[in-house]
Amino acid sequence: MLRNTLLIAKREYLERIRSKVFRITTVLVPVGMAGVAILGGIGGKKMEAGVQNLAVVSNNAELAQQVKAALGNGEHAPKSIEVVTQPTDADIAHLNQQVSDHDIGGYLKIDDEAGQTTPVATWVSGSSTDFIGKSQMESAVTDGLVREQLLQRGMTDGQVKTLMKDVKLNTQQVKNGKAVTSDAERSFAGAYVLILVLYGSVLIYGINIARSVVEEKTSRVFEVLLSTASSDDLMLGKLLGVGATGLTQMGIWAALMVGYAGSALAATQGIHGMNSLGITKIELAFFAIFFLGGFFLYSAMAAALGSSVSGEQEVQQFSFILISPLVVSVVMMMYVMQNPSSPTSVILSLLPPFTPIIMYMRICAQTPPAWQLALSVVLLLGSVLAMVWLAARIYRVGVLMYGKRATLPEMLRWLRYS
Amino acid sequence: MEVLVELERVSKSYEEKAAVRDLTLKIEAGSMFGLLGPNGAGKTSTIRMIVGITLPDAGKVTLFNKPWASASLARVGYLPEERGLYKKMKVIDQLVFLGELRGLGAAEAGRRAKTWCERMQMADSMDKRTEELSKGMQQKIQFIATLLHDPELIIMDEPFSGLDPVNALLLQDTLLELKKQGNAILFSTHRMDQVEKLCDSICLINRGEAVLAGGMREVKSRYERNRVIVQYEGPDGFLQHPAIAEYKSYAGHAEIRLKPHADAQDLLRQAAATTTITKFELVEPSLEEIFIETVGGHADA
Repeated sequence: MLRNTLLIAKREYLERIRSKVFRITTVLVPVGMAGVAILGGIGGKKMEAGVQNLAVVSNNAELAQQVKAALGNGEHAPKSIEVVTQPTDADIAHLNQQVSDHDIGGYLKIDDEAGQTTPVATWVSGSSTDFIGKSQMESAVTDGLVREQLLQRGMTDGQVKTLMKDVKLNTQQVKNGKAVTSDAERSFAGAYVLILVLYGSVLIYGINIARSVVEEKTSRVFEVLLSTASSDDLMLGKLLGVGATGLTQMGIWAALMVGYAGSALAATQGIHGMNSLGITKIELAFFAIFFLGGFFLYSAMAAALGSSVSGEQEVQQFSFILISPLVVSVVMMMYVMQNPSSPTSVILSLLPPFTPIIMYMRICAQTPPAWQLALSVVLLLGSVLAMVWLAARIYRVGVLMYGKRATLPEMLRWLRYS
Repeated sequence: MEVLVELERVSKSYEEKAAVRDLTLKIEAGSMFGLLGPNGAGKTSTIRMIVGITLPDAGKVTLFNKPWASASLARVGYLPEERGLYKKMKVIDQLVFLGELRGLGAAEAGRRAKTWCERMQMADSMDKRTEELSKGMQQKIQFIATLLHDPELIIMDEPFSGLDPVNALLLQDTLLELKKQGNAILFSTHRMDQVEKLCDSICLINRGEAVLAGGMREVKSRYERNRVIVQYEGPDGFLQHPAIAEYKSYAGHAEIRLKPHADAQDLLRQAAATTTITKFELVEPSLEEIFIETVGGHADA
């Protein structure tokens, strides 16, 4: 009965909206996010700084100079680069001492023996893992080697520079039969946001639903409720109520974000309104559909989970089952991004638990056929209802069993009954 | 009288264990019906089938002269044995919510909740959160929730358990008043003293089966008045009368159990002839005795 469903939804919604937890998280999450962003910014700058001082050691003076130049040209150029040619054992010992004393971050040793085809380069530093330094080093050595070889073969400095210029790759995407300039990073940013929001909301509100079902079971309110409302009313009401709470909270956060994006503060950081985030209107519409569909499907799954376990601890133990399709989606993302129309991608995008992320990923990569889009949405919404129905059965049978497992015939008899 | 509830050869089993077997009973409007039995006898299982929380495996449940339908539940007030409330909700909000679920408008539910809270002497707790209240108070909230929509059929599973004597009396009086207004009341209990005072008819079940059922007077009349209390002044020779099976004698006070079908009047004549009788009472068996006698040593309780 619709009236009962709405009454229950209203109760769940009001109880949550009025709770302290709601007020606290509504304020704290944006504050926390801002904190993470600021800390991330600081951390990022530190990382970018890379190795401050280093030395290049080689028996080939010209190569050492070229590597030094290549390192200096790089994105994160070190502050100072010392060149040591024809190193003696004493020089090496001195450098090792400098590394130990943190005077230099490390030194790059390049052995270019006459008989060898390629020089042997070794990066000696204070820490065992220094990946940013390593990739930078590798490209600098390769670069320096090419420059040195070209110069040796009689090219001028200017010719070498022209030849070694970096090529920037532009990307285009075929949309509606036309190639249009796309920004791969931007369009996938939408998918990442979807994953983040879906994952977060399932973790917070999905588990919340499972908990409240368990609470109702342990406090045994359900028996009074079941003598007037059906378990379908209860489940659907709970889902709508908790769902509305989640949407209210996320709505507040989204409004804050939009407000921030349009603000003068954001303009100083190169963001001018939501448009600059690069999400098209159609993408936004699908974002909404897949988010809501996914949110309610996972919530209904959580309700079924709550109905079938006997205590709050079990909710914790089984919550990974709830999250696992999302994890699989994340794992499959790169594959789907590169093969948006492969059979695996198509099938995965039609399976309701994976639809939200995988289908959205496909939309970002390449517009899928309309029938697949329509089918995935229908399947997603259908599975939400099926899940609610199933959760209601499990709840109804589960709460009255007192730890006894429901037999199949008993389950079947419930199905006839409303 | 109109029959509000009728169970016809109803059975229900959970896995291997039969909770209710072949149970038949009728509850009339304007009457109070006691469902008795030791723990685990099948009282709660029976009640749950009446309110449709579980379905019978076999047999028929009829409510208000119609086959069981969820629509009928609007006319039923049900207080389960294991009671729960939303802990964080305010009492008045809770009552309004439950009233609305049973079909009342919000304003009407609020008005009735207020009246009932006053009647149950808990008007000053209406704005408190449920978890702040004592267990007994929470139980009263549940009574109110059960009665808020003015149900014709009131079903209460162990309503008196956990109540202090004052509140038990308050509930008892309320139920009697509702009965007088023509409502039918079914309650389950294993407290015989209350049943004896309140109920018009009873059904005693043991191990899922009805072992004794009918009107209170009629049930009792089936059992012989074989206990005699005598108060006397003088010699106690009459205690050797052949009708007496056993007796306990105190100073001027004797409690006697007669042999089956013995003639109590002859005992009285003999006693009066030999001593001064100040009191001679033929006591009918208490329901508790009937209960114990019927259930015997089989009770798991």
